[in-house]
Amino acid sequence: MTEANPQENSLDLDEAIAGRLARLRSLPVDTSRLDQLLRGQIPERPHHRWTSWPRPFQAIAASVVLLVGLVGAFLLTASSGPVLASGIQMAQVHADIVAGRIPVMQVDSIAKANQMLADKSPGAPSLPQIPQSHVMACCMKSVHDKKMACVLLKDGGIPVTLSVANAADMKLPAVPTMTRNGTSYRVQSVNGLSMVMTERSGKWLCLIGAMPAERLMDMAELVQF
Amino acid sequence: MHEEQATKGFYNLVWPQRAAVLRLARLLTGSSHEADDLAQETLLKAFKKIGTFREGTDVKAWLFAILRNTRIDRLRAVGLKTEISLSDIAAEPAAPSEGGNQSVEWDHPQEVLNRFSDAQVIDAIQKLPEEIRWTLLLVDVEGMGHAEAAEVLQVPLGTIKSRVHRGHSMLRDRLLPVAVERRFVRE
Repeated sequence: MTEANPQENSLDLDEAIAGRLARLRSLPVDTSRLDQLLRGQIPERPHHRWTSWPRPFQAIAASVVLLVGLVGAFLLTASSGPVLASGIQMAQVHADIVAGRIPVMQVDSIAKANQMLADKSPGAPSLPQIPQSHVMACCMKSVHDKKMACVLLKDGGIPVTLSVANAADMKLPAVPTMTRNGTSYRVQSVNGLSMVMTERSGKWLCLIGAMPAERLMDMAELVQF
Repeated sequence: MHEEQATKGFYNLVWPQRAAVLRLARLLTGSSHEADDLAQETLLKAFKKIGTFREGTDVKAWLFAILRNTRIDRLRAVGLKTEISLSDIAAEPAAPSEGGNQSVEWDHPQEVLNRFSDAQVIDAIQKLPEEIRWTLLLVDVEGMGHAEAAEVLQVPLGTIKSRVHRGHSMLRDRLLPVAVERRFVRE
Protein backbone atom coordinates (compact mmCIF):
# COMPACT_ATOMS: atom_id res chain seq x y z
CA MET A 1 0.00 0.00 0.00
CA THR A 2 1.38 3.41 -0.83
CA GLU A 3 1.09 6.31 1.55
CA ALA A 4 0.25 9.81 0.38
CA ASN A 5 3.25 12.10 0.46
CA PRO A 6 2.22 15.19 2.53
CA GLN A 7 4.59 17.44 0.58
CA GLU A 8 3.09 16.28 -2.72
CA ASN A 9 -0.44 16.80 -1.36
CA SER A 10 0.50 20.28 -0.26
CA LEU A 11 1.83 21.08 -3.75
CA ASP A 12 -1.37 19.74 -5.33
CA LEU A 13 -3.44 21.87 -3.00
CA ASP A 14 -1.27 24.90 -3.72
CA GLU A 15 -1.78 24.44 -7.46
CA ALA A 16 -5.48 23.81 -7.01
CA ILE A 17 -5.92 27.02 -5.00
CA ALA A 18 -3.94 29.00 -7.58
CA GLY A 19 -6.10 27.48 -10.34
CA ARG A 20 -9.35 28.27 -8.53
CA LEU A 21 -8.26 31.87 -7.96
CA ALA A 22 -7.27 32.20 -11.62
CA ARG A 23 -10.88 31.51 -12.58
CA LEU A 24 -11.89 34.77 -10.90
CA ARG A 25 -10.14 36.51 -13.80
CA SER A 26 -13.20 35.80 -15.94
CA LEU A 27 -15.55 37.31 -13.36
CA PRO A 28 -17.77 39.73 -15.27
CA VAL A 29 -17.82 43.33 -14.06
CA ASP A 30 -20.33 46.07 -14.73
CA THR A 31 -18.47 49.25 -15.62
CA SER A 32 -21.60 51.34 -16.22
CA ARG A 33 -21.46 53.18 -12.86
CA LEU A 34 -17.72 53.74 -13.22
CA ASP A 35 -18.20 55.08 -16.75
CA GLN A 36 -20.85 57.43 -15.42
CA LEU A 37 -18.56 58.61 -12.61
CA LEU A 38 -15.76 59.32 -15.09
CA ARG A 39 -17.98 61.11 -17.59
CA GLY A 40 -17.48 64.83 -17.23
CA GLN A 41 -14.16 64.42 -15.44
CA ILE A 42 -12.26 63.20 -18.48
CA PRO A 43 -12.55 64.85 -21.91
CA GLU A 44 -14.54 63.00 -24.56
CA ARG A 45 -12.62 60.65 -26.85
CA PRO A 46 -11.06 62.79 -29.59
CA HIS A 47 -12.66 62.40 -33.00
CA HIS A 48 -11.09 62.75 -36.42
CA ARG A 49 -10.75 66.40 -37.23
CA TRP A 50 -11.84 67.65 -40.61
CA THR A 51 -10.43 71.14 -40.16
CA SER A 52 -7.34 70.37 -42.21
CA TRP A 53 -9.39 69.08 -45.17
CA PRO A 54 -10.17 71.44 -48.04
CA ARG A 55 -13.72 72.81 -47.79
CA PRO A 56 -15.12 71.00 -50.89
CA PHE A 57 -13.98 67.65 -49.40
CA GLN A 58 -15.59 68.51 -46.08
CA ALA A 59 -18.87 69.19 -47.87
CA ILE A 60 -18.65 65.92 -49.85
CA ALA A 61 -17.78 63.93 -46.71
CA ALA A 62 -20.67 65.51 -44.81
CA SER A 63 -23.06 64.64 -47.65
CA VAL A 64 -21.85 61.03 -47.69
CA VAL A 65 -22.31 60.75 -43.90
CA LEU A 66 -25.82 62.21 -44.18
CA LEU A 67 -26.73 59.83 -47.01
CA VAL A 68 -25.39 56.80 -45.13
CA GLY A 69 -27.34 57.89 -42.05
CA LEU A 70 -30.57 58.24 -44.02
CA VAL A 71 -30.13 54.86 -45.72
CA GLY A 72 -29.28 53.26 -42.35
CA ALA A 73 -32.35 54.79 -40.70
CA PHE A 74 -34.53 53.58 -43.58
CA LEU A 75 -33.10 50.04 -43.36
CA LEU A 76 -33.58 49.97 -39.61
CA THR A 77 -37.21 51.03 -39.75
CA ALA A 78 -37.91 48.79 -42.74
CA SER A 79 -36.26 45.67 -41.29
CA SER A 80 -39.23 44.10 -39.58
CA GLY A 81 -38.40 40.53 -40.69
CA PRO A 82 -36.17 38.04 -38.93
CA VAL A 83 -32.44 38.78 -38.76
CA LEU A 84 -29.39 36.56 -38.68
CA ALA A 85 -27.09 36.59 -35.66
CA SER A 86 -23.84 35.37 -37.16
CA GLY A 87 -21.49 33.05 -35.31
CA ILE A 88 -18.87 35.79 -35.19
CA GLN A 89 -21.35 38.27 -33.69
CA MET A 90 -22.47 35.80 -31.04
CA ALA A 91 -18.87 34.79 -30.22
CA GLN A 92 -18.08 38.49 -29.77
CA VAL A 93 -21.07 38.92 -27.43
CA HIS A 94 -19.82 35.98 -25.35
CA ALA A 95 -16.22 37.27 -25.27
CA ASP A 96 -17.38 40.78 -24.31
CA ILE A 97 -19.58 39.52 -21.47
CA VAL A 98 -16.85 37.24 -20.10
CA ALA A 99 -14.18 39.94 -20.32
CA GLY A 100 -16.47 42.54 -18.76
CA ARG A 101 -16.25 44.78 -21.84
CA ILE A 102 -19.98 45.44 -21.85
CA PRO A 103 -22.17 46.48 -18.93
CA VAL A 104 -23.80 43.49 -17.27
CA MET A 105 -25.90 43.05 -14.15
CA GLN A 106 -24.58 40.67 -11.50
CA VAL A 107 -27.25 38.11 -10.66
CA ASP A 108 -27.33 34.76 -8.95
CA SER A 109 -30.57 33.33 -10.31
CA ILE A 110 -32.63 33.32 -13.49
CA ALA A 111 -35.56 34.84 -11.58
CA LYS A 112 -33.40 37.78 -10.52
CA ALA A 113 -32.03 38.13 -14.05
CA ASN A 114 -35.53 38.23 -15.53
CA GLN A 115 -36.64 40.79 -12.98
CA MET A 116 -33.69 43.07 -13.76
CA LEU A 117 -34.02 42.66 -17.53
CA ALA A 118 -37.76 43.37 -17.37
CA ASP A 119 -37.09 46.55 -15.37
CA LYS A 120 -34.52 47.67 -17.91
CA SER A 121 -36.21 46.57 -21.14
CA PRO A 122 -39.96 46.01 -20.68
CA GLY A 123 -41.35 43.57 -23.22
CA ALA A 124 -37.97 41.99 -23.91
CA PRO A 125 -37.75 38.17 -24.15
CA SER A 126 -37.41 36.49 -20.78
CA LEU A 127 -34.83 33.87 -19.88
CA PRO A 128 -35.77 30.23 -19.36
CA GLN A 129 -34.93 28.19 -16.27
CA ILE A 130 -31.79 26.05 -16.48
CA PRO A 131 -31.54 23.68 -13.52
CA GLN A 132 -28.12 22.94 -12.00
CA SER A 133 -26.48 25.97 -13.56
CA HIS A 134 -24.53 28.60 -11.73
CA VAL A 135 -25.93 31.97 -12.86
CA MET A 136 -23.43 34.84 -12.93
CA ALA A 137 -24.63 37.88 -14.85
CA CYS A 138 -27.12 39.03 -17.44
CA CYS A 139 -27.57 41.76 -20.02
CA MET A 140 -29.77 42.79 -22.94
CA LYS A 141 -28.20 42.97 -26.40
CA SER A 142 -29.56 43.84 -29.82
CA VAL A 143 -28.83 42.13 -33.11
CA HIS A 144 -29.79 44.69 -35.72
CA ASP A 145 -32.97 45.96 -34.04
CA LYS A 146 -34.00 42.69 -32.40
CA LYS A 147 -33.68 42.28 -28.65
CA MET A 148 -31.86 39.34 -27.18
CA ALA A 149 -31.63 38.48 -23.45
CA CYS A 150 -28.25 37.02 -22.47
CA VAL A 151 -27.19 35.29 -19.29
CA LEU A 152 -23.69 34.19 -18.33
CA LEU A 153 -23.62 30.78 -16.67
CA LYS A 154 -20.82 28.60 -15.40
CA ASP A 155 -20.76 24.94 -16.20
CA GLY A 156 -17.97 23.05 -14.45
CA GLY A 157 -16.17 26.36 -14.10
CA ILE A 158 -16.39 27.20 -17.81
CA PRO A 159 -18.33 30.33 -18.80
CA VAL A 160 -21.30 29.70 -21.08
CA THR A 161 -23.51 32.41 -22.56
CA LEU A 162 -27.15 31.55 -23.13
CA SER A 163 -29.03 33.99 -25.37
CA VAL A 164 -32.76 34.02 -25.99
CA ALA A 165 -34.85 35.97 -28.50
CA ASN A 166 -38.27 35.61 -30.07
CA ALA A 167 -38.04 32.95 -32.78
CA ALA A 168 -39.97 35.23 -35.17
CA ASP A 169 -37.16 37.79 -34.90
CA MET A 170 -34.22 35.54 -35.67
CA LYS A 171 -33.04 33.35 -38.53
CA LEU A 172 -31.06 30.19 -37.94
CA PRO A 173 -27.72 30.13 -39.79
CA ALA A 174 -27.02 27.80 -42.71
CA VAL A 175 -24.53 25.61 -40.83
CA PRO A 176 -24.48 21.84 -40.15
CA THR A 177 -27.43 20.46 -38.20
CA MET A 178 -27.38 17.84 -35.47
CA THR A 179 -30.51 16.22 -34.10
CA ARG A 180 -30.79 15.21 -30.46
CA ASN A 181 -33.97 13.68 -29.01
CA GLY A 182 -36.05 15.10 -31.84
CA THR A 183 -34.64 18.63 -31.58
CA SER A 184 -32.48 20.04 -34.39
CA TYR A 185 -29.48 22.14 -33.45
CA ARG A 186 -27.41 24.31 -35.79
CA VAL A 187 -23.86 23.65 -34.68
CA GLN A 188 -20.77 25.70 -35.45
CA SER A 189 -17.39 26.57 -34.03
CA VAL A 190 -15.96 30.10 -33.98
CA ASN A 191 -12.66 31.24 -32.44
CA GLY A 192 -12.34 28.05 -30.39
CA LEU A 193 -15.89 28.37 -29.06
CA SER A 194 -18.66 25.89 -29.75
CA MET A 195 -22.08 27.28 -30.51
CA VAL A 196 -25.46 25.61 -30.77
CA MET A 197 -28.63 27.37 -31.92
CA THR A 198 -32.16 26.04 -31.97
CA GLU A 199 -35.81 27.08 -31.73
CA ARG A 200 -38.11 25.89 -28.98
CA SER A 201 -41.49 27.08 -27.69
CA GLY A 202 -41.44 30.07 -30.04
CA LYS A 203 -37.99 31.16 -28.81
CA TRP A 204 -34.63 31.29 -30.52
CA LEU A 205 -31.95 29.84 -28.26
CA CYS A 206 -28.17 30.06 -28.54
CA LEU A 207 -25.54 28.55 -26.22
CA ILE A 208 -21.84 29.37 -26.55
CA GLY A 209 -18.83 28.16 -24.60
CA ALA A 210 -15.36 26.68 -24.84
CA MET A 211 -16.60 23.10 -24.53
CA PRO A 212 -17.84 20.35 -26.85
CA ALA A 213 -21.08 21.13 -28.71
CA GLU A 214 -22.56 17.94 -27.19
CA ARG A 215 -22.24 19.45 -23.71
CA LEU A 216 -24.00 22.61 -24.89
CA MET A 217 -26.79 20.45 -26.33
CA ASP A 218 -27.01 18.67 -22.95
CA MET A 219 -27.53 22.07 -21.34
CA ALA A 220 -30.05 23.13 -23.99
CA GLU A 221 -32.09 20.04 -23.22
CA LEU A 222 -32.39 21.15 -19.59
CA VAL A 223 -33.82 24.54 -20.57
CA GLN A 224 -37.40 24.98 -19.32
CA PHE A 225 -39.54 27.69 -20.89
CA MET B 1 1.93 66.45 -22.84
CA HIS B 2 -0.70 68.21 -24.91
CA GLU B 3 -4.22 67.55 -23.55
CA GLU B 4 -5.49 66.05 -26.81
CA GLN B 5 -2.51 63.69 -26.91
CA ALA B 6 -3.08 62.74 -23.27
CA THR B 7 -6.75 62.08 -23.93
CA LYS B 8 -5.93 59.95 -26.96
CA GLY B 9 -3.32 58.00 -24.98
CA PHE B 10 -5.78 57.50 -22.15
CA TYR B 11 -8.49 56.11 -24.41
CA ASN B 12 -6.07 53.90 -26.33
CA LEU B 13 -4.15 52.47 -23.38
CA VAL B 14 -6.11 52.87 -20.16
CA TRP B 15 -9.78 52.78 -21.14
CA PRO B 16 -9.70 49.14 -22.38
CA GLN B 17 -8.25 48.11 -18.98
CA ARG B 18 -10.92 49.75 -16.83
CA ALA B 19 -12.82 46.47 -16.34
CA ALA B 20 -9.61 44.81 -15.05
CA VAL B 21 -9.00 47.73 -12.67
CA LEU B 22 -12.59 47.58 -11.44
CA ARG B 23 -12.46 43.80 -10.99
CA LEU B 24 -9.29 44.03 -8.90
CA ALA B 25 -10.80 46.86 -6.84
CA ARG B 26 -13.95 44.78 -6.34
CA LEU B 27 -12.01 41.72 -5.16
CA LEU B 28 -9.85 43.89 -2.95
CA THR B 29 -12.59 45.84 -1.21
CA GLY B 30 -15.46 43.36 -1.34
CA SER B 31 -17.86 46.23 -2.02
CA SER B 32 -19.01 47.29 -5.46
CA HIS B 33 -19.65 50.87 -4.35
CA GLU B 34 -16.22 51.25 -2.77
CA ALA B 35 -14.65 49.53 -5.78
CA ASP B 36 -16.30 51.99 -8.19
CA ASP B 37 -14.92 54.93 -6.18
CA LEU B 38 -11.45 53.38 -5.92
CA ALA B 39 -11.33 52.57 -9.64
CA GLN B 40 -12.60 56.06 -10.49
CA GLU B 41 -9.85 57.73 -8.46
CA THR B 42 -7.26 55.37 -9.97
CA LEU B 43 -8.34 56.12 -13.55
CA LEU B 44 -8.43 59.87 -12.93
CA LYS B 45 -4.86 59.68 -11.59
CA ALA B 46 -3.87 57.57 -14.62
CA PHE B 47 -5.32 60.25 -16.90
CA LYS B 48 -3.28 62.96 -15.18
CA LYS B 49 -0.11 60.83 -15.22
CA ILE B 50 -0.46 59.33 -18.70
CA GLY B 51 2.62 61.27 -19.82
CA THR B 52 4.75 59.29 -17.34
CA PHE B 53 3.74 55.90 -18.75
CA ARG B 54 6.71 54.30 -20.50
CA GLU B 55 5.75 52.83 -23.85
CA GLY B 56 6.54 49.14 -24.18
CA THR B 57 5.87 48.45 -20.48
CA ASP B 58 2.79 46.70 -19.11
CA VAL B 59 -0.05 49.18 -18.80
CA LYS B 60 -1.98 46.87 -16.46
CA ALA B 61 0.94 46.71 -14.01
CA TRP B 62 1.22 50.50 -14.21
CA LEU B 63 -2.49 50.88 -13.43
CA PHE B 64 -2.36 48.36 -10.60
CA ALA B 65 0.54 50.28 -9.02
CA ILE B 66 -1.60 53.45 -9.13
CA LEU B 67 -4.54 51.49 -7.71
CA ARG B 68 -2.30 50.22 -4.93
CA ASN B 69 -1.13 53.72 -3.93
CA THR B 70 -4.66 55.08 -4.12
CA ARG B 71 -5.88 52.28 -1.85
CA ILE B 72 -3.09 52.99 0.67
CA ASP B 73 -3.98 56.70 0.70
CA ARG B 74 -7.65 55.91 1.25
CA LEU B 75 -6.93 53.47 4.09
CA ARG B 76 -4.58 55.97 5.75
CA ALA B 77 -7.21 58.67 5.43
CA VAL B 78 -9.60 56.61 7.55
CA GLY B 79 -6.86 55.60 9.98
CA LEU B 80 -6.52 51.96 8.97
CA LYS B 81 -3.14 50.23 8.90
CA THR B 82 -1.66 49.56 5.51
CA GLU B 83 1.35 47.47 6.45
CA ILE B 84 1.26 43.78 7.16
CA SER B 85 1.90 42.96 10.81
CA LEU B 86 4.60 40.52 11.86
CA SER B 87 1.99 38.20 13.32
CA ASP B 88 0.44 37.90 9.88
CA ILE B 89 3.53 36.28 8.44
CA ALA B 90 5.55 35.06 11.40
CA ALA B 91 4.40 31.47 11.28
CA GLU B 92 4.97 30.94 7.59
CA PRO B 93 5.73 29.04 5.54
CA ALA B 94 6.02 25.43 6.65
CA ALA B 95 4.06 25.61 9.88
CA PRO B 96 0.61 24.04 9.87
CA SER B 97 -2.04 26.61 9.23
CA GLU B 98 -3.74 28.15 12.23
CA GLY B 99 -6.77 26.19 13.33
CA GLY B 100 -6.38 23.93 10.32
CA ASN B 101 -8.00 20.57 10.69
CA GLN B 102 -5.20 18.29 9.57
CA SER B 103 -7.38 15.18 9.77
CA VAL B 104 -9.55 16.42 6.91
CA GLU B 105 -8.64 14.89 3.57
CA TRP B 106 -8.37 16.98 0.42
CA ASP B 107 -8.02 13.98 -1.85
CA HIS B 108 -8.87 15.79 -5.07
CA PRO B 109 -8.22 19.43 -4.26
CA GLN B 110 -9.03 20.76 -7.75
CA GLU B 111 -12.38 18.98 -7.73
CA VAL B 112 -13.19 20.16 -4.22
CA LEU B 113 -12.24 23.77 -4.96
CA ASN B 114 -14.31 23.82 -8.13
CA ARG B 115 -17.37 23.09 -6.02
CA PHE B 116 -17.03 26.43 -4.23
CA SER B 117 -18.97 29.28 -5.82
CA ASP B 118 -17.13 32.45 -6.80
CA ALA B 119 -18.96 34.26 -3.99
CA GLN B 120 -17.61 31.79 -1.41
CA VAL B 121 -14.05 32.15 -2.72
CA ILE B 122 -14.34 35.95 -2.77
CA ASP B 123 -15.67 35.91 0.77
CA ALA B 124 -12.65 33.87 1.88
CA ILE B 125 -10.28 36.29 0.11
CA GLN B 126 -11.86 39.17 2.01
CA LYS B 127 -10.84 37.56 5.28
CA LEU B 128 -7.14 37.56 4.38
CA PRO B 129 -4.81 40.34 5.57
CA GLU B 130 -4.61 43.21 3.06
CA GLU B 131 -1.04 42.53 1.86
CA ILE B 132 -1.61 38.82 1.40
CA ARG B 133 -4.86 39.55 -0.42
CA TRP B 134 -3.01 41.94 -2.76
CA THR B 135 -0.36 39.32 -3.47
CA LEU B 136 -2.83 36.55 -4.31
CA LEU B 137 -4.93 38.89 -6.45
CA LEU B 138 -1.93 39.95 -8.52
CA VAL B 139 -0.20 36.58 -8.79
CA ASP B 140 -3.04 34.07 -8.91
CA VAL B 141 -6.04 36.04 -10.14
CA GLU B 142 -4.29 38.42 -12.54
CA GLY B 143 -1.57 35.91 -13.46
CA MET B 144 1.34 38.29 -12.90
CA GLY B 145 4.86 36.95 -12.47
CA HIS B 146 6.39 37.16 -9.00
CA ALA B 147 8.89 39.80 -10.12
CA GLU B 148 6.17 41.93 -11.68
CA ALA B 149 4.00 41.65 -8.55
CA ALA B 150 7.01 42.57 -6.41
CA GLU B 151 7.41 45.72 -8.47
CA VAL B 152 3.76 46.70 -8.13
CA LEU B 153 3.77 46.08 -4.38
CA GLN B 154 7.29 47.50 -3.90
CA VAL B 155 8.54 44.52 -1.90
CA PRO B 156 11.41 42.04 -2.41
CA LEU B 157 10.82 38.98 -4.60
CA GLY B 158 11.22 36.63 -1.62
CA THR B 159 8.39 38.40 0.18
CA ILE B 160 6.04 37.69 -2.71
CA LYS B 161 7.00 34.01 -2.70
CA SER B 162 6.41 33.61 1.02
CA ARG B 163 3.15 35.58 0.89
CA VAL B 164 1.83 33.38 -1.91
CA HIS B 165 2.62 30.27 0.11
CA ARG B 166 1.20 31.73 3.28
CA GLY B 167 -1.85 33.06 1.44
CA HIS B 168 -2.71 29.66 -0.02
CA SER B 169 -2.44 28.10 3.40
CA MET B 170 -4.66 30.78 4.97
CA LEU B 171 -7.20 30.52 2.18
CA ARG B 172 -7.39 26.76 2.64
CA ASP B 173 -8.15 27.35 6.32
CA ARG B 174 -10.89 29.87 5.50
CA LEU B 175 -12.48 27.46 3.02
CA LEU B 176 -12.13 24.34 5.11
CA PRO B 177 -15.12 24.88 7.45
CA VAL B 178 -17.36 25.49 4.43
CA ALA B 179 -15.99 22.40 2.69
CA VAL B 180 -16.68 20.28 5.79
CA GLU B 181 -20.14 21.77 6.34
CA ARG B 182 -21.12 21.15 2.73
CA ARG B 183 -19.50 17.74 2.74
CA PHE B 184 -17.08 18.61 -0.07
CA VAL B 185 -14.37 16.81 1.97
CA ARG B 186 -14.28 13.82 4.31
CA GLU B 187 -13.38 14.17 7.98
